[in-house]
Amino acid sequence: MFLPDFDYHAPETLAEACDLLRDLGPSAKILAGGTDLLIKMKHGLVTPRAVISLKALDELKTITHVPGRGVVIGARATHNDLVNSPVLHEHFLSVSEAAHKMANNQIRNRGTVGGNLVNAIPSADLPPILIALDAWITLVGSNTSRTVPLHTFFTGPSCCVIDPVDEILTEIVLPDQPTTGSTYLKFGLRRSGALSVTGVAAAVTMDGDTIVDSRICLGAVFPVPVRAHDAEDVLRGKTWSDELLAEAGEAASCCALPITDIRGTAEYRLDLVRVLTKRALKRAITEGHV
Amino acid sequence: MSDTVKQDYAVIGKSVPKIDGREKVTGAARYTADLKFPNMLYGKILTSPFAHARIISIDTSEAEKIPGVRAVITHKDAPTLKYGISPARWDENIFCIDTVKFVGDKVAAVACIDEQTCYKALAAIKVEYEELPAVLDPLRATEEDQPQIHPEFVRNINAEIHQDFGDVEAAFKEAHYVRTDTFVGNRTYQTPIEPHTATSMWDGEKLTVYSSTQSPHYFQYYIAREFGLPMGDVRVLKTYVGGGFGGKLEPTGLEFGGAILAKITGRPVKMFYDRAEMFAHNRGRHRQYMTITSGVDKDGKILGVHADFVMDGGAYTSLGIATAYYAGAMLTLTYEFDNFRFDMLRVYTNLPACGAQRGHGAPQPRYAFEAHLDNIAKDLGIDPMDIRILNARRPNTTTPNEFLVNSCEMKACLEKAREMSGWDEKKGKLPKGRGIGVATGSFVSGAGYPIYRTDLPHAAAMIKVGEDGTSATLYTGATDIGQGSDTVLCQMAAEAMGYTYEQMKIVAADTETTPHDFGAYASRQTLMSGAAVKQAGEEVKTQMLETAAEMLDFPTVDLDIRSGKVFSPGNESVTLTFEEVARHFFVNRGPLVGKGSYTPPKLGGKFKGAAVGTSPAYSFAAQVSEVEIDEETGEVNVLDVWDVHDCGTVINPALLEAQVHGALFMGLGESIWEEVKFDDKGRIANPNLSEYRIPTAMDMPVVHSALVDSYEPAGPWGVKEVGEGATLPTMGCFRNAIFDAMGVSINSLPLGFEKVWRAMKEQREEGAAE
Amino acid sequence: METIDDTRKTTAGPKPKRYVIDLTVNGDPRTVVVKGNALLVNVLRDELDLTGTKKGCELGDCGSCTVLLDGTPVDACLVLALEADGSEIVTIEGVAAHGELDRLQAAFVDKAAVQCGYCTPGMILSPKALLAGNPHPTEPEIRAAIAGNLCRCTGYVNIVRAIAAAAEVEAVVEQGGEAR
Repeated sequence: MFLPDFDYHAPETLAEACDLLRDLGPSAKILAGGTDLLIKMKHGLVTPRAVISLKALDELKTITHVPGRGVVIGARATHNDLVNSPVLHEHFLSVSEAAHKMANNQIRNRGTVGGNLVNAIPSADLPPILIALDAWITLVGSNTSRTVPLHTFFTGPSCCVIDPVDEILTEIVLPDQPTTGSTYLKFGLRRSGALSVTGVAAAVTMDGDTIVDSRICLGAVFPVPVRAHDAEDVLRGKTWSDELLAEAGEAASCCALPITDIRGTAEYRLDLVRVLTKRALKRAITEGHV
Repeated sequence: MSDTVKQDYAVIGKSVPKIDGREKVTGAARYTADLKFPNMLYGKILTSPFAHARIISIDTSEAEKIPGVRAVITHKDAPTLKYGISPARWDENIFCIDTVKFVGDKVAAVACIDEQTCYKALAAIKVEYEELPAVLDPLRATEEDQPQIHPEFVRNINAEIHQDFGDVEAAFKEAHYVRTDTFVGNRTYQTPIEPHTATSMWDGEKLTVYSSTQSPHYFQYYIAREFGLPMGDVRVLKTYVGGGFGGKLEPTGLEFGGAILAKITGRPVKMFYDRAEMFAHNRGRHRQYMTITSGVDKDGKILGVHADFVMDGGAYTSLGIATAYYAGAMLTLTYEFDNFRFDMLRVYTNLPACGAQRGHGAPQPRYAFEAHLDNIAKDLGIDPMDIRILNARRPNTTTPNEFLVNSCEMKACLEKAREMSGWDEKKGKLPKGRGIGVATGSFVSGAGYPIYRTDLPHAAAMIKVGEDGTSATLYTGATDIGQGSDTVLCQMAAEAMGYTYEQMKIVAADTETTPHDFGAYASRQTLMSGAAVKQAGEEVKTQMLETAAEMLDFPTVDLDIRSGKVFSPGNESVTLTFEEVARHFFVNRGPLVGKGSYTPPKLGGKFKGAAVGTSPAYSFAAQVSEVEIDEETGEVNVLDVWDVHDCGTVINPALLEAQVHGALFMGLGESIWEEVKFDDKGRIANPNLSEYRIPTAMDMPVVHSALVDSYEPAGPWGVKEVGEGATLPTMGCFRNAIFDAMGVSINSLPLGFEKVWRAMKEQREEGAAE
Repeated sequence: METIDDTRKTTAGPKPKRYVIDLTVNGDPRTVVVKGNALLVNVLRDELDLTGTKKGCELGDCGSCTVLLDGTPVDACLVLALEADGSEIVTIEGVAAHGELDRLQAAFVDKAAVQCGYCTPGMILSPKALLAGNPHPTEPEIRAAIAGNLCRCTGYVNIVRAIAAAAEVEAVVEQGGEAR
């Protein structure tokens, strides 16, 4: 296998990167970790004339808690940066755990959270938990900067709202919130290096045994990560019980529109949504952010 | 059991470190792809995008114009002799001439200054195809309306086998209970981690090929045949090989195409497959459709068995005719019964050809039979362990298809597995969702007949002692592909010579410098290559003792050598070192050399196909596995596996155990995770290691392995096989554990999570309907 | 990173740019001229003749090309050489200092954890990084660390034993023939 020829740029500042992207136009691609882009290039699916590496932009690698804003994750943070982040361990261990479920160790050392989001694969492991935690992201262009709620970011398989010839995803923010627990359950066909057949993230806000609020997000069962609003409605204001969670699981299945592919049939995925939803809810309710 | 088992050996029976261990852990070990030669070119093969199509035209002119492209070849540049495993089924050309027969069939090849140019050149070759209807369903391949793949093989029948031993019908009439079950196997792929590579170069009329091969000799034979060269003008050698498992047993387009490109360009040409191309070349495990009927008496004693199979051979024979025979032949080994009928149809399809994968044709039929036997046991209310012990083969018996079994500790294997696994405490007593299963397996210790028709010995070896006696070099054609034969054979040489392992060197698997050996397949090297090595070592020892007797003026019969010391039992004053004697020999008589060769005894019956499955000796194994099933998702959590093996005398316990682990691992992968899948155009849907899922370190259960005492009279020092035997019981063992856990029978491989989920769902729905 | 501008035209169009990069490989300073599309694995194998780094799948699935990039295990088939500019790289050739096997290498030989040897370089570098930050890992931590390194020969049994032995921890697989 080989990569087609291209020119390589490693701008020193974000502004320089944005300008380059605008100047080089659609033939340029942003390179973060490369674990998706280089594979696509090896398969000939994309053939950029220029690659703009974010390598030098160390400011996009930090994970910090900014009081009043929340946990701010730089887009260049790798999956293993998330896995090992003391800030995430303190606030949202569930995000570290979700990052750990992705691919394998070597890929987690290169693949970045920003790349994972912009790549917009329906089975990606990070979007469900980030959406369940109500994350929003920042997109910076040569003359613009905007924030987008993550649940509106994805528009289809491998499609998102980013302007590919101008914008760079710079950060993900997990806002300070009253949620008391969250988790992401992945169902893959192998314990490592397997894309999700189905993934379900749940975040709950509990008051004693009462579910004040919840957010449930399903992965790999819809063209984009999708909130299971019907299931959330089942839970709102109720005292939790196994029966109630099972009912929520049934409702979540109704929010999914999976396809049949080589990893599983639509029928199987629908049932997995049901099972994983009730299990994720129980974990989030009883164990906190895990 | 012979008391030779208890002999105190100096070198064998010890877990000495691998002779190549240091090179492999430091990165110094060079594999074929690591070799560079001056002026070397890189070559790639253009393959068919269609499962079945007529080639209208091939235009290479644009490709030839690209700077850095040194040669572009098609069938017009290649010999047109067909090849395959046996003359009746030579059916494959170096490059396709009229039609392409699967996605990945070889059409053209290029040699260029670098890899990137190769891909540019491949893209510039214009091939016009007329797409033809394709045979993609093996069960329909023989129907009248199906396209014909090879004109000379009517109704796409590659091989038809009918074997009948005893009187199966009478056995069924007499039986207390007769049951029929049908099972389906999976197409799997050997998946060595090292991709196939071959580098070819000519020196005048002599061709040298470095290849990632399991059998330099077999490659040499077919390459010489294709190019009309004397065998002596073809040198095939391997460096290190990164795993084979059957997939590197026959030559590929890399060797044939590379030889042509090297000839045309006058430069060394390195040819290689990437991962997807490996999957396309394939030659992996055949998918078999297996119907088995057995009759048993009221105690569960097997009276007769009828195996009626169809196998998907893919587009070519490859090694598959042997696979087809093995599928039935090996069913008679682990249990004793007198009446056996075997019917097999190997059909052509427009899918990649299948060949030999670890255990050859035997693992899927073994899965089917072990599952079938559990069904019978359940119907009759017999413990699955008991029914196996009742039927277990005994030593010194003959199978209905006329295989002589010398050593056989099948019953002891089962009893030990029962004890180790806690079978009696667990069977029927585990909580819902957990289950335990048992299965058996048996495999050849080398094939009784050569891989192609010849009267050459199966193995030969030569030992040259260094002039000062401080080292000895073993020359053997045996092929270490990772299993450790270089180490084991050096242990055997040292033992036979009375020398030390640490002083042994080895030159192996080079058709020019080493004596002939058929190579690494059919678990043959420890027994067969070992027998030749032992003879060579003993020849050295005899010469050493004669020399020592001269030097000491002492009767030869009163001398012995052990661990490099010449001594006389009972006379401590007599001592010479190996070095002193060897040096004396060299000074007075020239090189001290020992040689040996091995040909198995005449084996087997007279019926058609009687040769396949014959072997000087058979290994036996029992496996128990324990699983936990997620009742909602179908996820199979494999907890523990216990393997108990009867593999004769052990030369290197650590390496032997490692072979059990590896064979079991491959069986485990095939049981639950692995399957080559196709789309409706015959294209592989998962030609990569993310969607073709071999298990990772996180998926492996706890493995417990143990041996039973055993001595095989046909093997040197009592050895027999281990490398493939542990693959056989695994699939049936897991099926039976899942059957025990949930009461659902998964009748096709792999036993994937969704299949288990679906079976449990159907079981619930049936329960609700009743 | 210095760029060599070569504006000469060839028949195949403009020549791709060349870049000069500096790497520290196994402690040695190395300067290499590469095209943008050069992958680290190919630079190591073809330019620097460090063929201990293997190619198995070229898509980040098998881990045969694992090297340590500034101490972190990565698949060299998915890293542009340019991305490694200025970095420290350790390949399998750099693990045995002055010809002495390190404890992982010695344990791999001692525990019969090597068969065909093709996965071995990566299979040693992954735990090398693990043990640097976590000298006494649990067995699940060991297994997670090598889950991106596929082995087809060993079933990982002796590999886990070897890593556990090097880390001086006990592994469940050590129980061998004993029933749990």
